[in-house]
Amino acid sequence: MNTGQISLQAVRSLRRYRLRTSLMMLGILVGIASLAVLSSLGEATKRETMQRFKNMLGTFDAIIVRPGGGRTRGMPTLVNMPPTLRFDDAAAIATELPGIKAVAEVQNAFDIDVKYRDQSSSPAIFGVSPNWLALRSEEVADGAFFTPGQNTSLARVAVLGPDVRNRMFPGEDPIGKTIRIADVPFEVIGGLKSRGAGPAGASLDNVVLIPINTASRRLFNRDFLTMLIVQVKDPERGDEATAEVAALLRWRHHIQPPALDDFTITNPAATMARVTSAGSTLTKILTGVSIMALLIGGVVIMSLMSIAVSERRKEIGVRRSVGAAQVDVVLQFLLEAALVSVAGGIAGVMIGWGGVQLVARMQKLPPILVWEPFLAAILLSLAVGVVFGIYPAWRASRVDPIQALRS
Amino acid sequence: MIEVEDISKTYARGEHDSVHALSAVSVRIAPGEFVVVRGASGSGKSTLLNILGCLDLPTTGSYRLDGENVARYSDRQLARVRNAKIGFIFQSFNLLPRTTALENVEIPMVYGRGLVERKKAMAALERVGLASRAGHFASELSGGEQQRVAVARALINSPALILADEPTGNLDLAAGSEVMRLLSDLHREGRTILLVTHDDAVAAYASREILLRDGHIISDHTRLTNLVEGGR
Repeated sequence: MNTGQISLQAVRSLRRYRLRTSLMMLGILVGIASLAVLSSLGEATKRETMQRFKNMLGTFDAIIVRPGGGRTRGMPTLVNMPPTLRFDDAAAIATELPGIKAVAEVQNAFDIDVKYRDQSSSPAIFGVSPNWLALRSEEVADGAFFTPGQNTSLARVAVLGPDVRNRMFPGEDPIGKTIRIADVPFEVIGGLKSRGAGPAGASLDNVVLIPINTASRRLFNRDFLTMLIVQVKDPERGDEATAEVAALLRWRHHIQPPALDDFTITNPAATMARVTSAGSTLTKILTGVSIMALLIGGVVIMSLMSIAVSERRKEIGVRRSVGAAQVDVVLQFLLEAALVSVAGGIAGVMIGWGGVQLVARMQKLPPILVWEPFLAAILLSLAVGVVFGIYPAWRASRVDPIQALRS
Repeated sequence: MIEVEDISKTYARGEHDSVHALSAVSVRIAPGEFVVVRGASGSGKSTLLNILGCLDLPTTGSYRLDGENVARYSDRQLARVRNAKIGFIFQSFNLLPRTTALENVEIPMVYGRGLVERKKAMAALERVGLASRAGHFASELSGGEQQRVAVARALINSPALILADEPTGNLDLAAGSEVMRLLSDLHREGRTILLVTHDDAVAAYASREILLRDGHIISDHTRLTNLVEGGR
């Protein structure tokens, strides 16, 4: 048995019957292309979602406490939040719960004018505790972050996000300059590194950070918090930490169930896991549809090959008469099915690759370089070709050469 | 060359009925003979040809081809024997469609032990006078040319035995005699040829005639004797 030569015969047969070959390739092509698009988009979206969550959170070992019961839409601010979350709540969580590593206090507001000379802007203003930088794994690009001392002394110092910095100080070093936040002068002491986009796709860089105590006493004149970021010691025990924080806050706020909580705790790591797995559920359904398309492609190969066996009975008879054994005939037809399927798979991968880049551009995702699904798709098309080629190949080998040659 | 001993072939027809296509046929053919097999349709000559060509196995009896007892060979062993020792020529040419003359001639080499040598196929085409048509598809050739390509294909593996089933049946007189001239050249080179035909003019090329009726050999004699006795 000369496999190389028989492969060549298989290739020639496929070239001889171009229309049939194209039709057989088509089903596989569609299935593989959609499968490749879906799986690589699914994978890329998952990675992108995780990246954005990471951008927003800095770390996955933090839970977020907000004032008010029930779910609130959008960012909490001093305007829309009830005054239920206090500084001493933050201190209690940090000191009384052994599973907690650190707590960052946050007061934030939007729609506050920030001015520098004739420039005016309204970025998000965040009053945060000095441990913010470490807790969020953020970094200062230039200058410095404020110190605990500056927080205690109510220093009017500000650290700018890259968006604010670029907009208000184009081509100018902002360090040491004075900006006015709601007409209160602040000295710029540093600039943050870029964090990119958050889960909603918006920039996380349009922000000004000031010390929490300064914010509370000198700017907002509010003694409650809009958010606590609670870093847990063991990220695996996020749910337990959530329960402990909730219990502590209920006790401190004198809440007896069934009375409703006046705070809300979210565990972003859990949320992210839910979001990415929800994404993959949709991907799974669509993948199932693509696999159906691929199976239909396989059935098309099987039926067209079976018809081809009937039409090529004489050819089979001739091959047998000049020395082809039944296994040689099986091999040739199996190779034809496998080759046509892999060719369809490769074409599908190429079209799918193009489709992925197109969808990525439309969805404003970064260029997607996920190659594993494409390799898997080609292997899958090979498997489909072989499996659906077995029946026609077996039929071809059963053709009686005597009758075939007489007809 | 061919030693057929007491072979018979029975086909089942329905559950209880069966047809005896060949009954206790024995025949010996020496190397270099040119034998014609004749008989009415249904006389068993096709069955005999298929068994001699290792496409079919006898129900009983033994068949030695070139020293090998092939009567109980497996599919693979038979395929190897067909490839190495037998060249078929059919009435309907049986070239592969949408395939060039050259590629058709190459096909027996695909299933052989050696390499597929294009040069060898080209030489075989030259031998039948069709070197200039090597790149043409089978469908672009005349009937006579197609049959000559089939002769080249039958020759390519240098078989010991050439089996021709009505090789001129679909050809006009000129093309038919061209094919017969090729076959008698092959005979003169020492090849064993077994030919099935109804055509007296074609049968006249053979040196021996076997006549079949109802699965039995009813006569087996040299053509020369036949001619001398004035039979035809």
